[in-house]
Amino acid sequence: MAALWPNGHNALMLHRVRRYRLWILVWCGFTALGALLIARQELAHLREAFETDARIVHRLLSQRVVQHDAVLATLALLQPPAEASSPEQRLPALYPQILSVQRRDRGVPWADSRLQAAEAQSRQWQRPALASADLPGGRYQLVLASDPASFALRMDLHAVVPWNEWPMTPDTSPVRVALEHEGQAFVVQPGRLGGHGWRFAFHKHLAADSQPFDVVALRDVAWHELPWIVMLAWALAVAAALAGLHALLRQRERRQRAEELLRLGQVARLNTLGELAAGMAHEINQPLTAVLANTQAAQRLLGDDPPELDTARLAMAQATEQARRAADVVGRLRRAVTRPDAAAPLHAVVLQDTVRNALHLLAPELERRGVQPELQGVNPPVQVLAEPVGLEQIIHNLLMNALQALEQVPASERRLVLAFSHEGTPGAQGARGVLTLTDTGPGIAPEALPRLFEPFFSTRADGLGLGLSLCETLANRMGASLSADHHSPRGARLRLALPLATA
Amino acid sequence: MSTPLSPLIHLVDDDEAVRASLGLLIGTVGLRVQAWADPLAFIAQFDRDSIGAIVLDVRMPGISGLTVLEQLVAQRVEQPVIMLTGHGTVEMCRRAFKSGAAEFLEKPVNDEALLEALQNAVRQHVKTRERLGADRQAREHYAQLSEREREVLGLIVSGLTNKEIGRALAVSPRTVETHRANLFAKLEAPSLAQLIRSYAALVDEAAP
Repeated sequence: MAALWPNGHNALMLHRVRRYRLWILVWCGFTALGALLIARQELAHLREAFETDARIVHRLLSQRVVQHDAVLATLALLQPPAEASSPEQRLPALYPQILSVQRRDRGVPWADSRLQAAEAQSRQWQRPALASADLPGGRYQLVLASDPASFALRMDLHAVVPWNEWPMTPDTSPVRVALEHEGQAFVVQPGRLGGHGWRFAFHKHLAADSQPFDVVALRDVAWHELPWIVMLAWALAVAAALAGLHALLRQRERRQRAEELLRLGQVARLNTLGELAAGMAHEINQPLTAVLANTQAAQRLLGDDPPELDTARLAMAQATEQARRAADVVGRLRRAVTRPDAAAPLHAVVLQDTVRNALHLLAPELERRGVQPELQGVNPPVQVLAEPVGLEQIIHNLLMNALQALEQVPASERRLVLAFSHEGTPGAQGARGVLTLTDTGPGIAPEALPRLFEPFFSTRADGLGLGLSLCETLANRMGASLSADHHSPRGARLRLALPLATA
Repeated sequence: MSTPLSPLIHLVDDDEAVRASLGLLIGTVGLRVQAWADPLAFIAQFDRDSIGAIVLDVRMPGISGLTVLEQLVAQRVEQPVIMLTGHGTVEMCRRAFKSGAAEFLEKPVNDEALLEALQNAVRQHVKTRERLGADRQAREHYAQLSEREREVLGLIVSGLTNKEIGRALAVSPRTVETHRANLFAKLEAPSLAQLIRSYAALVDEAAP
């Protein structure tokens, strides 16, 4: 990476910031969208509640004012006698909104000219008419013309409102309700108006022509009334979801990178090995060339008649010297590639776990070849004393060998059995834990069997012949033994026996 | 043009022990060896007129044997080249032969294989040299002919008799006979067959 970017660290930081910026952007987008939907829903909900309340208010007030028409009509019909105990004077006791009842007998004019004018209108319209209105004070007068006596009511709006049926709590409700007429207004409930936000309005005539008041309801929704807690919860939920997704992606990326690194490591190792082999070939070939040429020259010189002894001697001396040189090269190489013979510490390892691990690592290889490994003797766990990394490498190599062998037979005949067992009584001297790998590949030719663990012996054309040799070295190092034999009717069986871990 | 007593083998290898031992081995069959440690010095200085062959190691510091081979071919060096390598790949072998290597041998090399390859190479080089030498001689002789003699030679090569040649050139058969005698003398041809074999190509070359 550093090679790709001259200023690796800064570039990495920039990369990180860019990546997080995208995530933050996505978070902002989702949060804003969600908040918008939540706010819209809340506003719609508030509006619906408001309109329901306003309609109820309109209905209640309409029902009440219609009663006033009915009272007047009853008076006009009954025409109670004009005496001190006239029954209409008892009306205010029945209807608290009626402050007083006035009457005008025939021939007597109204004391108030507004009542006079209203009566004329009432006569014309054949219904009660509004004589005067003082809405801020909550007073108005209603007149119905009739014969012989006409009647008028003085009304108190404060008492018109049916508080017991009122859909809102008048003191705390944010809704302002008013009755309006010709620029005047009677405030039924003050509500809370003002502030930046949204305004809902309801405007409708009372359902009584005689009392042409408008019911006006207003509701201001301020910003702070939005469901901020819900929105915050949404934002947090989005953040949590994105964080989870991010973590998931990161984990997947890490796993992919680890796999890639593993693969690269293998390639690099192979390249190194190739380079090593090429260098070794050259370093050893040079003295060998000289040795061969010198000895063959000497043979020819000795065969001459007469033999050229001096030159032949020189050739032999040179050959000896070059043979030593070849030996030196080998010695140098051996010192350079020191095998870590110093034994690594041994640990108690459950054989089954290590095998499962190796199988997990090789899952793609198994799948590619359509091989379903069978595990036998999974219980009880076989706990052995081993060097964990070395053991894993042995098992990995054995599995790879088996897979390569299985490749040579038709897919339907591929079987791979991994069996775990104890040898000897656990706890007794020399008791061992045994792993047996059996494949149904082509098997091992009888003549190849004794040489199987020799370095550079391979039955594969492209094989280096180091795999099993390495396995044996590793096994011996941890006091284990590795053996191979033929499996009838066809296939190979590899057997790894390890010392048991003492409980 | 020097005429050495025996063929000269140029041995190019950076390893002293290899040079010494191969030199000794090649010397046992009576070939002379000139060993070169530095391929660049070899390219600059070796005797291009000598009869013999070149033995070239592929892996040398500074310059690859294959590159040296390509340079030699580019300079129209006549000596056949035998490549030696410690670990030859098919690709390397293919490249060497494509570049004009006469032989490609792996180290450590067996004496018989190397010596046989060298003797083949020397024989091939001698033949090449003879062919080129004969060619050069023929050109020198051909240059001595007069215009009319060349015309007569062309018609002789075409298979015409003296009479037909005289008719074609509007001269008497006797004159043709004179030209013919001069021409055989100048070209040092012992027979008509020899004359045609040595000079037919040159006549074709001269004809438009």
